[in-house]
Amino acid sequence: MNASDAPIALDIDQLSVVFDTPDGPLSAVNDFSLAIRRGECVGVVGESGAGKSQSFLAVMGLLAANARVSGQARLGTEPLIDRPVAELNRFRGVKLSMIFQDPMTSLTPHMTVGEQIAESVIHHLGSSAEAARARALALLEQVQVTDAPRRLDQYPHELSGGMRQRVMIAIALACDPEVLIADEPTTALDVTIQAQILALLATLKRERGMAMALITHDLGVVAGIADRVAVMYAGRVVELGTVHEVLKAPKHPYTAALLASMPRIDDAGTGPLPAIGGQPPNPRRLPPGCAFGPRCAHADALCRSEGPPLMGSAPRAGTRSVACHHPVQGAHESRETS
Amino acid sequence: MSEPLLQLRDLRVWFPIGDGLFRAKRQLRAVDGIDLQVAPGEALGIVGESGCGKSTLARAILRLVRTSGGQVLWLGRPIEGWSTARVRPLRRDMQIVFQDPLASLDPRMTVGEIVAEPLRVHARELSRAERRERVIDMLARVGLPADVVNRYPHEFSGGQCQRIGIARAMVLRPKLLVCDEPVSALDVSIQAQIVNLLQDLKRDFGMTILFVSHNLAVVRRLCDRVLVLYLGKPMELASTDLLYAQPRHPYTQGLLAAVPVPDPDLQPQRLGGALGGELPSPLAPPSGCVFRTRCAHAVAACAELAPKLQSVGAGHEVACDRWQAIQTFGERR
Repeated sequence: MNASDAPIALDIDQLSVVFDTPDGPLSAVNDFSLAIRRGECVGVVGESGAGKSQSFLAVMGLLAANARVSGQARLGTEPLIDRPVAELNRFRGVKLSMIFQDPMTSLTPHMTVGEQIAESVIHHLGSSAEAARARALALLEQVQVTDAPRRLDQYPHELSGGMRQRVMIAIALACDPEVLIADEPTTALDVTIQAQILALLATLKRERGMAMALITHDLGVVAGIADRVAVMYAGRVVELGTVHEVLKAPKHPYTAALLASMPRIDDAGTGPLPAIGGQPPNPRRLPPGCAFGPRCAHADALCRSEGPPLMGSAPRAGTRSVACHHPVQGAHESRETS
Repeated sequence: MSEPLLQLRDLRVWFPIGDGLFRAKRQLRAVDGIDLQVAPGEALGIVGESGCGKSTLARAILRLVRTSGGQVLWLGRPIEGWSTARVRPLRRDMQIVFQDPLASLDPRMTVGEIVAEPLRVHARELSRAERRERVIDMLARVGLPADVVNRYPHEFSGGQCQRIGIARAMVLRPKLLVCDEPVSALDVSIQAQIVNLLQDLKRDFGMTILFVSHNLAVVRRLCDRVLVLYLGKPMELASTDLLYAQPRHPYTQGLLAAVPVPDPDLQPQRLGGALGGELPSPLAPPSGCVFRTRCAHAVAACAELAPKLQSVGAGHEVACDRWQAIQTFGERR
C-alpha cells in the first residue's frame, strides 16, 4: 500500500502547549505540525521533556488544567482543540485511541479485564452486555492474549506486564479507532516482550489500516515499525522524514549524534562511544537561537542568535524537513558494524 | 588466569514465600546454583529478563541479601557465615551503583557529604582535609566540578546524580564495583556519557566490574564476559565476543534477537524472530530445563533433566544439552 496517497487521518497544525506555573509560563511544545495518513505509522522520537507526549496529550484533550494550547488538530475534518469534553468524548476511545507507558496504573484495579474492555464497547457502541463480552473475548484473542477466555475474568494484578499492555491495546482497539496513539508502549517491558508487542502493533496497523503515532525515546523501536519519523528536541520537531531518510541519512546534527552515540547490539566496537556532551536544556532556560546549539559540534554565531525553522517541502504532509542552519551533508557516515 | 577476586560455588538464594496460615511455605529460587570465577580487573555482565535473578545474585555477592547455600569466596576465602562486623572491612573493597540515580542519594545530605560518607566509615584514619581532597579529586574524575560539594542531589539531572553515585562508590577505590542497571533510568543521550565514564574508570583504576543490565548493547560495549541467567539458573557464560557472535543457548539467541537496532533495513525482520511467551512463575519453574517452555527446539527429554553448564569451546559454556543440534539456527552477527 502506498501510504503517501492515503487520506490524512490526523492532522496536527502548528500546535503549541504552554503551562502556566507558579514560576511563570513554561513552553512545552512549540509549533508542532504533523499529518498522519491512514495505514501509516509515524514514530515521534525524543528524550524526556522533548514535548512528544505533551503534543499528543494536547490532541487527546488530556493535558493538565494549567495548560494553554494553541494551533489545531483535526481527526478527519473534526477539530479537536478547544472542543467541549462532551463533544470530544464522541471521538476519544472511539475513533481516536491512546495507550500509555505503564500498563499497571492505566488499568482499573477493581474491574476484571473483560469488564474494562466491555465498558468501552457498551458505552460507545451501545452493545448489550453479552455482545460486549463476546467482543472483549475476540479482542483479547486478536491481541494474542494466551488463554483468553480465562483472562476475561481476571484482574489486572493477576497479569504480567506484557499481558496488561495487550489488554490496554485491546481496550484501545475496542471501537475500531482510525488513529492509535501509542505513548512509550514498550518502555516498561522487557526487551523480549517489547519485541512481541511491537510485532503485534505492526500487524494491527497493517491489518486495520490504522494511522498510528508511536511515541518513543528509542530509535531502534521506530526502525522496526514506523514509516516516517519525527525527531523532537526541546519542544520542537527538528527533523522529519521517512524512516530510511532519518535513520540512514540524518540531516539534523542531533539525530546524527544520537544515532552515533547509541551502543548497538550489532556493533563489536569496544572504544568510547561518541557521546553527546551536556544535557537536554531546561525548558525554563532555553538557550538563545537553536536549542541544540550548546551541544552541537557544528554550531556557530548564527545558531546562537537565531533559531532555525523547520525547512523542507510541505512539512505537514511532509516528505523531508530539518530545522538546522547547517544540516549534515551527504551520506551519514554510519559507524562500522561487525 | 590470576587468582580470582571472587568465586561462587553453587550459590543459591531462595526466598521462603508464605502462602497463608495453613499451607506449607514454598521456596522462590531467585538464584539457583551459580558457579563462577571473576578475575581481578574483569568486567562481567549479568543479563536476563526481569525476574531472572540478576540483581539478587549481585546483592548476594555483596551480602546485601542472605544466601541459602553454596559459597562466596573473596580472594580465596569463604565469607558466608561471617558476622556483619567481620564483613565490614571487606565492604571497603566492594561498592555498588544503583539504578535510580536520585533515589539512591540522601536528599538531606550535600554532594560532598554523600561522597565523603564511605570515607568516614571505612577510612577513619584520614583527616578532614585529606577526606575533602579525596572527595574533590573523585568528583573531578567523574566529571563534576569541585563547587558541587555544597549542593544537594535535587539540584542535579539524572546523569549528574549517577555521576555522584559513581563517585561515592569509587571514592574508596574498591576492588569490586557492582553496577545494577546504572544507565537504565537515563536519557538516551546521557547513557553514552555514563558508559564512557565507567570505561575510563575501569581503565584507570583497574577494578573488577559486575554489570547487571537488561541492555545487551551496553553490556557488549563494556564487558569482557557475560553470564546469561534465566529463572535464577545460568544459561550461558562466554567471553563477550563469543556470546554476541555465536550465541549457543536458544535463550541467549532469543534475547539478542529482541534487542532493536536503529536500522530500518534490519529491524522489521528482527521483530519477526522475537522470542515468544513469557517468564514462567519462579514459584513453579518448569521441570528439567527451565527454559524449555519457551524454547523452539525443546524435545521431550528437556523436561527430564536440568542441563548444567558445559564447555563448548575455550571460554564458552552453555547449559543446553541440544546446543550442537540447534547450532545452525544461531549464527547471528
